[in-house]
Amino acid sequence: MPKFTLNGQEVEAKAGQTIIQAAGDHGIEIPHYCYHPDLPIDGNCRMCLVDVEKMPKLTPACTTIVNEGMVVRSDNPRVKEAVRGVLEFLLINHPVDCPVCDQAGECRLQDYYMVYGLHTSEIPLGMKVRKRKVIDLGPMVVLDQERCVLCSRCIRFFDNVTGTGEMQFFGRGDHVAIGTFEDRPLDNPYSGNVVDICPVGALTSRDFRFKCRVWFLHATNSICAGCSTGCATRIDHRDGAIFRMIARRNPEVNRSWLCDEGRLSFHELTRSERVIQPSIKGSDGVQTPITWEDALQSVDQRLKQIRDANGGSSILGFGSPSATNEGLFLFKRYLTEQLGATQFEFRIDSEDKKVLDEEDQILRHFDKHPNSMGAIKLGLISDDLDGIDGAIRAARDGRIKAAVIIYFNPLVRRPSDDEAEGRIIELIDELKYSVVLAAHKADWHASADVVLPVAAWSEEEGTYTNFEGRVQFAAKAIESAGDALPIWEVFAMLIHASGAESRWMSAENVFATMTEQSQPYSRITFEQTQLPGVVLASC
Amino acid sequence: MKRAAKVINVRDQAEKESSFAKDVLGPLVGMGLTINRMVDNLTGKVNATIRYPEERRAYSGRLRGAHILTAREDGSPRCVACYMCATACPADCIYIEPAEHPDPLIEKYPARFDIDMLRCVFCGFCVDACPEEAIIMSRETELGAYTRAETMWDIKRLMSRPELPEFGLGYRPNEKLVDSTIKFVPKNKEKKRLAGRVTLKEDVEMIAHVTFDPTKD
Repeated sequence: MPKFTLNGQEVEAKAGQTIIQAAGDHGIEIPHYCYHPDLPIDGNCRMCLVDVEKMPKLTPACTTIVNEGMVVRSDNPRVKEAVRGVLEFLLINHPVDCPVCDQAGECRLQDYYMVYGLHTSEIPLGMKVRKRKVIDLGPMVVLDQERCVLCSRCIRFFDNVTGTGEMQFFGRGDHVAIGTFEDRPLDNPYSGNVVDICPVGALTSRDFRFKCRVWFLHATNSICAGCSTGCATRIDHRDGAIFRMIARRNPEVNRSWLCDEGRLSFHELTRSERVIQPSIKGSDGVQTPITWEDALQSVDQRLKQIRDANGGSSILGFGSPSATNEGLFLFKRYLTEQLGATQFEFRIDSEDKKVLDEEDQILRHFDKHPNSMGAIKLGLISDDLDGIDGAIRAARDGRIKAAVIIYFNPLVRRPSDDEAEGRIIELIDELKYSVVLAAHKADWHASADVVLPVAAWSEEEGTYTNFEGRVQFAAKAIESAGDALPIWEVFAMLIHASGAESRWMSAENVFATMTEQSQPYSRITFEQTQLPGVVLASC
Repeated sequence: MKRAAKVINVRDQAEKESSFAKDVLGPLVGMGLTINRMVDNLTGKVNATIRYPEERRAYSGRLRGAHILTAREDGSPRCVACYMCATACPADCIYIEPAEHPDPLIEKYPARFDIDMLRCVFCGFCVDACPEEAIIMSRETELGAYTRAETMWDIKRLMSRPELPEFGLGYRPNEKLVDSTIKFVPKNKEKKRLAGRVTLKEDVEMIAHVTFDPTKD
C-alpha cells in the first residue's frame, strides 16, 4: 500500500495502481480520453499529464504506477498549460459540428474545453483536414472520422474484449482516421459498447441517432432484463418514454459492457399492445373491464371456492422468471397461506431450464429472463410438474383446476417464444378457472377468465436475482401503462382482500419481509442490493 | 469638529422670490398653453389617436415579432435541428423532429419545426441561441387567428412569409456572424407612420423609439 502526495495531500493507493486510478479513488479527476478502467492502458491521448517531483518532464498519469513517497501535482500551472496545449492539438482538425452531433452534452471535448481550454482556435474551418462523415458501420454504430480524437478505445475494445479486431487506424499524419476494412459493418453482438466508450462523437448510436438531445433525458439506474446475467444499466427516459439504455459499470458482473440485444431490449416494451385495465370474463364469454377492487374480490372468492371444493393442491401458481423477487415472494405467500396451494412452476420452455448456461464467454446467457434464479430460490419449482408440459398434463388429468399465471413478454425474443405463448393458451384451455397477470396483450387474452394488468420491467422497482444468485436492485424509470400495478402490489391487495394483514407500502417493505421469512434471502439488506449487488449465501 | 446641517427655510425663500408676475401671470401663461393645445386637438391640427389599421405606428428595428426560419441558397431550411432554441425557450413552445439529411456535411434537418404562437412569449432567446442564424424574428405582431390550430405555425409557414414585406425584419442580433439568405426583398421606402408623440405633425418622419434626455426635458 504505497503512500504518496497528491496535490499536497497525503493519500494511500492500492499496490499496482496507476496515478489516475488512485486519484479517482480519492475524488480527483484527471482529464483523459484514452484511459478506460476496463481496457488495456495505451497512453496515447496525453491529456492526463501530471507533474511528478524529480521527473524532468510531465508524465501521463494513466501509465505511471504509484510509488512510495511520490509527490504528484495535477493542478499546477505547468500541468494546466500542458493540458491546454494537448487539447488545442486535439481540436485542430475537429469540425466543431456540435449542433448536429449526438454526443453534444456528454462530450469529453466539450467538458474539457470548458475547464482547460477556452482558447481561440488558430485554424479557420476552411483550413481543417476534412475526413469522411456519416459512415454506416452496421446495425448499431455510425462513424464520423472528423470528430475522432484517435484515443483507440474502440480498437482496444474489439481487440481485447470481443477479440474480433474489426477496427484499426488508417492513414498517416493528420490524415489518420479510425475505421473498419472497406467499411465492413460491425456485426458482433457487442458492437454497441464502442458508442458508450467513445469519449467524443466519432462513434454514435444508430438506434438513438437524432432521437433526443441528451440534456433532456433523465437517468435511472436499472438492471438489464434481457437475460439472466443481470448487467447494470442506466435507462435514459423522458416524458414516460425510454430513449436508450447504456451500461453502468459493475466490475463484478458486466464491467462496463452490455450486449446489443440487451441494449435494444427496451423497444420490446412498446412493440405490442398493453393491457391497461383489469378485465373479467362474463357469463357470455366476453372480457369486460372492471375496477381493481371488484376484480380482486372476485378472484379471491372464486379461488377460495375452488379450494373448498377440490383442495389447495388443485390450484397452480405459475410464476414468471421476469418478475421481481418481491412480486414472486408475495405471489407465493398469497397462494400458500391464503389458499393452501402446493403446486408451483415457472418454466415455460426447455431453454428456461438452462439458467447457468453461457451463450458466449463475455456476458450473455441462454436463459433470456432476468430472475430465473430468484424463482428457483423462492421455491417456484416442482419436480413432479417439471415445466409447463407437466402442468398441462396435470390439468388434463384433473389434478389442477385453477391457476394464477404471471406472464411477461421476454425482452429478448427467440423463435421459441411464440411456441411458449401457445403453451399458455393450452394450459388455460384445460383449466376451470384462470387468472392471468400480464403486461402485454396476447392471443390467450380472450380465453383467460381474469386478466390483470401489471407493470413491466422499468415501470416498477424491485430486485432481480441473476444466474449466480446476485441480488440487484432496479429502480423505477417510467410510469406504467393505464391502471397497471406492480406484481407485489397486486398480491398485497389480494392478501388484504382475503382478510389477512397486508402492510406493505413499497417494494422495500416487501424485501424486508422476504429477508425475514424466506430462507435463501436471509441476512441480506436492501442497501446491499445496490451496486455491485450481493450474492446469496446458498449460491 | 461636527458640522451643523444646512437648513433651508423654504417658506422664507418662497416669500422672498414671490412677485406679482409670478403669482398671477404664471398660471395664466400655463392656462394659455393648455387652451392652445385644446384648440389644436379640437380642430384636428394634432391628433393623439391614429387610425389603426390604416395607420400604424412604426416599431423599432429590433422588434421581436413572429419568427422566420431562414433558408439555404437552394431553399431548404438552414436549421440543423440542434434543439438549442427549444432548450433556451422559457415557454416551451418549440417542437422539433429531426431527420437524416442526404448530404453528410449537413447531416441533420428538421422534418417538423412547430412554434406554438399562443405559448410564445416573444423573448427572442431562440434567436440568441441559434448557432446557424436559422431562426430570426420579424416585426409582425398581428397574429390573430380564428382557430387554435392556425396559431401553431409549422415549418412551411415559418419559412415562407408572404406578409414579410409589409412588416419587415425584426430582432436579428447575429446578422454579421452568419451569412444566411432570406427570401424576401424589403420595400425600398417604408410607409410613413405616426410615432407615439402627440407633438409630431403628420408629415414629420417618425422616431423609431422615444428618447428621453434628462438634461433637456
